[in-house]
Amino acid sequence: MLSFTGKRLLGLGHRVSAAAVAGRGYHERVVDHYDNPRNVGSFDKTDPSVGTGLVGAPACGDVMKLQIRVDEDSGKIVDACFKTFGCGSAIASSSVATEWVKGKKMEEVLSIKNTEIAKHLSLPPVKLHCSMLAEDAIKAAVKDYEAKKAKHSGNADQVEKA
Amino acid sequence: MVQGSFVTELRARESPLARTRALSRFASCCRCSPCSVAGRQFLENNCLNVFLIMRRSKNCSLFSLLRTSLKELVYESEAKRGLWLSASSLVHEDLHLHPRIPSDLLINTRSFSIPVKRFDCASNYGGPGHHDFTEFRVLNRFLCSSEAGSGELPKCWNCGGDAVSPGPFLACGLCGSVQPVDQSIDFFQIFGLERTYEIKDGNLEGKYKDWQKKLHPDLVHSKSEKEKMFAAEQSARVIDAYRTLSKPLLRAIYLLKLEDVHVDEEKTITDPDLLAEMMDIREAVEEANDSHALNQIQTQVEEKFEKWSRFFEQVFKMHDFDNAITATERMRYYDRALEEITKKL
Repeated sequence: MLSFTGKRLLGLGHRVSAAAVAGRGYHERVVDHYDNPRNVGSFDKTDPSVGTGLVGAPACGDVMKLQIRVDEDSGKIVDACFKTFGCGSAIASSSVATEWVKGKKMEEVLSIKNTEIAKHLSLPPVKLHCSMLAEDAIKAAVKDYEAKKAKHSGNADQVEKA
Repeated sequence: MVQGSFVTELRARESPLARTRALSRFASCCRCSPCSVAGRQFLENNCLNVFLIMRRSKNCSLFSLLRTSLKELVYESEAKRGLWLSASSLVHEDLHLHPRIPSDLLINTRSFSIPVKRFDCASNYGGPGHHDFTEFRVLNRFLCSSEAGSGELPKCWNCGGDAVSPGPFLACGLCGSVQPVDQSIDFFQIFGLERTYEIKDGNLEGKYKDWQKKLHPDLVHSKSEKEKMFAAEQSARVIDAYRTLSKPLLRAIYLLKLEDVHVDEEKTITDPDLLAEMMDIREAVEEANDSHALNQIQTQVEEKFEKWSRFFEQVFKMHDFDNAITATERMRYYDRALEEITKKL
């Protein structure tokens, strides 16, 4: 179904097979995010304009990494990428999250709710925690960026004093 | 389910199987317990009637489901006095009609075989002032699940024989009839093991096969509907027990469950070290191209799993449940990674 390169980028493994899609019905949007991965990748963690959110779900052992690149002057998120190891719903949720945060201000992004993501992807009740994970990932990324900024400006002050 | 007509519908059904199906739908409705006023009203109005029908149909497992729902309703508020009186009058009715409770009229699980003299004491308690209290106590005993120290051995529903110890009472030792599921018997008891994490030489497979020789549904295909249902449930439970106990991770989680430790599965994990480590492992698995590399990673992850498994054993013994939960989380992550490796190999 996917080319090998595609699989590698997504970090998926063999989670969703063609049979599963046809029979049990992942929503077409979920399948779309799986087939056409967008924003998969990594930014440099040490870059001061990058915030990294790393979250996990205890129930299923999923790991989700969501990174945002913020423009310092405007406070807007200019780019985002993700890497998720988990089920199709988790991957789709994080993919949607990266799409939605692009071009928004950080405060706005904090108001993205997991219910919106779940509705957009028509997630069944058993997969709602995947959307929750995506929401938490966004918040964690923003928090990480803020912490970095505070530390960075703290260091700058110290340098100036010296 | 249309309110009110449900009971009529139920009484109209002749076939026990149809009645069982209708009753199990009702029971699951009770369990979902809609909080709406209408929903509650429906449960109250029908619960007792259904209770009565159930008692006569002698369907144990559904009976216990309904009993739980009724118990919840009753314990909810003082205002449920009417419910108490009705339910307890059912019990009195049983006893007045049948002073010696014969085994084929009352369901013989530990919880329900109540000797007559205890009730005589209760009802002799006295006048109208004590009425509520008596009723409540009567109902309380009727509804409470198996009382420890009541000193009664469970009896076989078929031949009335006593449970022969040792071993859990899943099938009668005398007549071979499969018994209804008793939820108070935990998985460890089914396999005759201590409630510990480490099980050496448990011979799980052997015991599992022995049980299935007595409980498998195929063996009861010529017996009554009731016994077929018991066999289906009992053998399913033994399969569950076998699966849970054979895998260390599931065993650990089950042990925590038995200790009533609540694991919040909804809470997101943000531990950076664990997550970064898992990210690295999963990425490595993705990038590994040959089985040699995969096997290497597999060995490493297995080692980590072992380490945390031993840690779990230690902290669990000391009842340090917070650390025990952390250990199970870690084990679950490693287990997932190992699953992925196995898939790839």
